[in-house]
Amino acid sequence: MIALTSPYLWYTTRATGLVTLVLFTLVVSLGTLVANRVGGTAVGRFELNELHRTIASVAIVFLGIHIVTTVIDSYVATGPLAAVVPFVSPYKRLPVALGTIALDLMVAVWISSLLKARIANTSWRFIHWFSWLAYAIALVHALATGTDSRHGIGLVVILACLAAVAGAAAWRFTARPTRAAGRTALSPLGVTPEPRRVQRDPVPPRATPDRGAEAPARDATAFPRRPQPRRHR
Amino acid sequence: MGVRRRVGGFVLLVNPILCDGFGHCAELAPDLVHVDEWGYPIIVTEPVPLANLAALESARYAVRGCPRQALRIERVSDAH
Repeated sequence: MIALTSPYLWYTTRATGLVTLVLFTLVVSLGTLVANRVGGTAVGRFELNELHRTIASVAIVFLGIHIVTTVIDSYVATGPLAAVVPFVSPYKRLPVALGTIALDLMVAVWISSLLKARIANTSWRFIHWFSWLAYAIALVHALATGTDSRHGIGLVVILACLAAVAGAAAWRFTARPTRAAGRTALSPLGVTPEPRRVQRDPVPPRATPDRGAEAPARDATAFPRRPQPRRHR
Repeated sequence: MGVRRRVGGFVLLVNPILCDGFGHCAELAPDLVHVDEWGYPIIVTEPVPLANLAALESARYAVRGCPRQALRIERVSDAH
């Protein structure tokens, strides 16, 4: 009961709101990196994909805390229904409704991703496009509702998030690969041409533990390689 | 059941319609998937015994990591 009347729930709402925004900025940016086929040399493409998925689940947890603390907090009257149904909150009806709409869209994206193996890939992609809309609405929600968002460090964070995602969106729109973008450097055929490595170092390269020793095609001394084509990007 | 699962082999199959050449499978299962010059997968066609747990695990990672859900693991009764 002390928690319900003390300001700490309200502080939690404000803090987790900002953290959630930052996390979803990361999620959207990483998703853009995956979609634009970034990675393969220093960091694997699959690693960016895993980061995208993992940070998304963390962001959903923070979003849940943000919503639960908002609902049970008595400082502002929103009501439990306002968490899922827009335009029913007595407190700041339109700004809270924006957050509700963003939540509903994010839940749709989340559930479609959980069901990704079961639904058609085109459906998943179509639903996944709505994450951009959800992010935009959430950003407006943060600006319109946030107590800390119009001055100081909150404004700086929100503008940085806006810049990051706007850049990601522009890059996604302009450099939009729909087809394959070349082999990756982590793939077996995409490694640095072996003969050069042999010239530099007469000792044959050790088998890396993840690829194992049972890949005979990777033995540079036994398998003459064709000239490597120019790698994209 | 645990014994039965290790009998036979598996092949990793790609749906070429769904595949967009993200290249994640070649990173996750480098022993099973090779990449052609355009980034599309060339998958080892002969069955791998299910007892090869490392290969099976990497194949499962590749199936899970495919952004287009274009991969699946098919069990075959006879491994080479």
